Amino acid sequence: MRQQRHIHIPIPWSKRILAAAVAACAVIVGLSLPVGDILADQRETPSFQLPRYEKFKLQNGLTVYLMEQHQVPLIYVSALFPAGAVKDCDKPGLAYLTAEALLFGTWSYRKAQIEDRLEFLGARYYSYANLETAGVSVSFMSTDLDQVLPLFKEVIQNPTFDPGEFEKRKKRLLLELAQEKERPSAVLDTYFNKFLFGPHGYGNPIYGTRASVQKIGSRDAKAFYEAHYRPEDSALVIVGDFQTGPMKRRVQELFSFWKSAGKLSPSERGLLPAHDRSRILLVNKSDSTETQFAFGGLGIPRNHPDYVAVRVVNTVLGGRFTSLLNDALRVSAGLTYGASSSFNTYRDSGSFVVSSFTSTENTFKAVDLALAVLNRIHAEGVDEETLTSAKAYLIGQFPTSYETPGSLASLLASMFFYGFDETFVSEYRKRVEGVTVEKTRELIARHFPRDRLQFVLIGKALELRDRAGNYGELYEKEIKSDRF
Amino acid sequence: MKRILSILSVLWFLACAAPLHALTAEDVHMFSLKNGMKFYVLEDHAIPNVTLQIFFKVGSRNEGPGMTGLTHFLEHMMFNGARKYGPKMFDRVLESAGGASNAYTSADVTAYQDWVPNSALALIFEMEADRMENLALDERIVESERGVVLSEYTTGYENSDYDLLEDQLRAVVFYAHSYRWPVIGFESDIRNWTRADVKEYFDRHYAPNNAIAVVVGDVTLAQVKTLAEKYLERIPARMPPRPVHTREPEQRGEKRLIVHKDVSSPHVLIAYHVPQTGAADYYALDLLSTILSDGNSSRLYRALVSERQLATGVSAYMYEALDPTLFYVYAVCAEDISAKTLEGAIFGEIERVVADGVTEIELRKAQNNAVASFWRSLLTISDKADRIGTYEIFYGGYQKLFAAPEIYRKVTAEDIRTVAAKTFTKNNRTVGILQKDEVQ
Repeated sequence: MRQQRHIHIPIPWSKRILAAAVAACAVIVGLSLPVGDILADQRETPSFQLPRYEKFKLQNGLTVYLMEQHQVPLIYVSALFPAGAVKDCDKPGLAYLTAEALLFGTWSYRKAQIEDRLEFLGARYYSYANLETAGVSVSFMSTDLDQVLPLFKEVIQNPTFDPGEFEKRKKRLLLELAQEKERPSAVLDTYFNKFLFGPHGYGNPIYGTRASVQKIGSRDAKAFYEAHYRPEDSALVIVGDFQTGPMKRRVQELFSFWKSAGKLSPSERGLLPAHDRSRILLVNKSDSTETQFAFGGLGIPRNHPDYVAVRVVNTVLGGRFTSLLNDALRVSAGLTYGASSSFNTYRDSGSFVVSSFTSTENTFKAVDLALAVLNRIHAEGVDEETLTSAKAYLIGQFPTSYETPGSLASLLASMFFYGFDETFVSEYRKRVEGVTVEKTRELIARHFPRDRLQFVLIGKALELRDRAGNYGELYEKEIKSDRF
Repeated sequence: MKRILSILSVLWFLACAAPLHALTAEDVHMFSLKNGMKFYVLEDHAIPNVTLQIFFKVGSRNEGPGMTGLTHFLEHMMFNGARKYGPKMFDRVLESAGGASNAYTSADVTAYQDWVPNSALALIFEMEADRMENLALDERIVESERGVVLSEYTTGYENSDYDLLEDQLRAVVFYAHSYRWPVIGFESDIRNWTRADVKEYFDRHYAPNNAIAVVVGDVTLAQVKTLAEKYLERIPARMPPRPVHTREPEQRGEKRLIVHKDVSSPHVLIAYHVPQTGAADYYALDLLSTILSDGNSSRLYRALVSERQLATGVSAYMYEALDPTLFYVYAVCAEDISAKTLEGAIFGEIERVVADGVTEIELRKAQNNAVASFWRSLLTISDKADRIGTYEIFYGGYQKLFAAPEIYRKVTAEDIRTVAAKTFTKNNRTVGILQKDEVQ
């Protein structure tokens, strides 16, 4: 259910894919609740505020967020940079390799020294890139602050991009890219994003392709770092068991003198495609016994005023276990272990995608049923009872989304990057409750694409080819060929 | 009720302001119902939510040939209708009340997890009692749910080479114990058990005296007690299921297997017999797994991945288990590296531990990790309930959860060397390799 990119950590067979996804998002920490509000609001369903935090800018422009959370003796530190795969240009995988390479050594520490020091303390750390952002995160026992924070500073300010370590990582990534194609569920999103966004940066495969990765060297990573890891565009978020005053001074001492070496290069994202017809991409995996499928269209950006309202309607359509999609495909028809829909939201755009999987012979039965559900919500809208239930579900589960220092740190980082504020939390309940049956009709018509849909099917093409063309202009690929 | 909530809310703010570093076993309250069902309650007012997690002491190890996968299938059927709350109602009513649920099945236990706002506390007790007492097992739904589980079966193997290899390997490692079959069952068994089989299995294992419940969150012990007595105490105790008495005989020689699949590089999975979770050697073995593969500074990662570049990843681990179980080492070959080369390198590292033991620094590192992991495992109310229930079932009592950092601290480097020497013998191991069929 959970995708582990490198090493498989086995988990028990779990009943539901959807609830599991919800639970996986529910990482946690205590939310301190202003007393006054509680007494008024607490009677029915609780509402709550984001715990108090301090936000300030250093002289070099780096934005810092400090939030105390004393439930456990741990501190979570995250740095966020606007350096995701959308900036890869003609080198897919560059943002990812650059983020990885931050941990390959610094002016003062070799790669192995960074690992020895952090891991001796029981710290957990990683660097990552996703479509729009990149980052480094570390969590550790609060007593180890003085050992970890200077090292963290080194990693983000003085990486050396050691060519030997870079080549080693590249070699492993090349094999991982082939291995990834052996797990269709791991690559469905990448195929779909590429098919939907085309040459726009949002179509870039985060981990790159074998052809592109071959061409990336440590110098490219260094140049990418200099162009996109800049204090004035970045944020440092610290959540956990510390005192704000001393932490503020520590942060000022360590991070104020970081200057970016390079010049900001204008980002070329390309144009968002306007699809004038339905298209279907059939990806052949000749030994498949099941088909993974996704279809959808362009969605909304993260800052769209309807963001929360769309989430309410999507909860009804495909965002929980009793959603229309899961009810139809799984619970009533027994065709699949799970069916869902989601909105992936970015700065400038987003995607709407319905996805599921089923045995090869049931492929079109399942696709047709999913399409019928989408058409039904357009035709019939959402009834009062279902809407009320979806609202209660979102409100009731909301506190579990911000229960941990890690999830609070992610929220603060998102607030920085997407430019929203804590009213997202404090007004959440009001915004959810403000969605009426009438409003859902508007929302569905405006934000839930049903025409000119883009489809991706990964499965046994021999048995799917004949009918696949009925859904749109047919394109075909081999899963084993490089690229997406 | 409203008054109680208002008063609680004030406490709740105060509780939040105080660090919970002092969380101890004394904060967990235990009580038993007359029917033998045990409850463990931890009041935690950080968020206005509650989790109820019920663990039935039944897993695939309780199944027999022809009935594999039945435990997991029954877990699915628990969501498909009882007496008061009919088909589809469990999830609909729960989600309408702001709740969510999930469940999982392992070789040893089946656990049901409900997460609700505190306003829905009584409701989940009522619904859990309904399905525990009067599960419907509608014939038509048994058939549609069979399709769901077949999809789960297919998608599991289609998307995980690891699952394929581990399931095949266990069947070779164990020749007597029921750990040898997969939790999801064999496809032919999934297709063939009947409603009567499921019903009989339910009656045998889902008695209140075969379950424990953990409640963590914005509740009081008194509230939980009242609700448990009201809804669950009337369910009669039943004859406890027969214990699994099969013990795996000592292995008498290395076992090997090869599984063919069109993978881009070979996978190597090695398993050694070890005692059950919580046994005397467990903690030393657990620290050893950290030293071997936790993080990039671990022995296996540094030697095989970073330095010699023989593998893309490597992992050493055990699952929690009630009966003697396995210590696994899993690695995937780097490009153009054969399984034989990687296997040899893994054995080289393991033999080094047996011969020379581990360093004091490695031991301290593993112990520091155990302490930090302890806190990381208690970040949410759901984590806390899961750990309390898991320790109660597997480790000889929930108190062991809170004692764990101290127990790990007492393990010595010599303990680790001794347990390594005892475990890592050739006769005690099974080696599984997943690779392309070169003949094709």
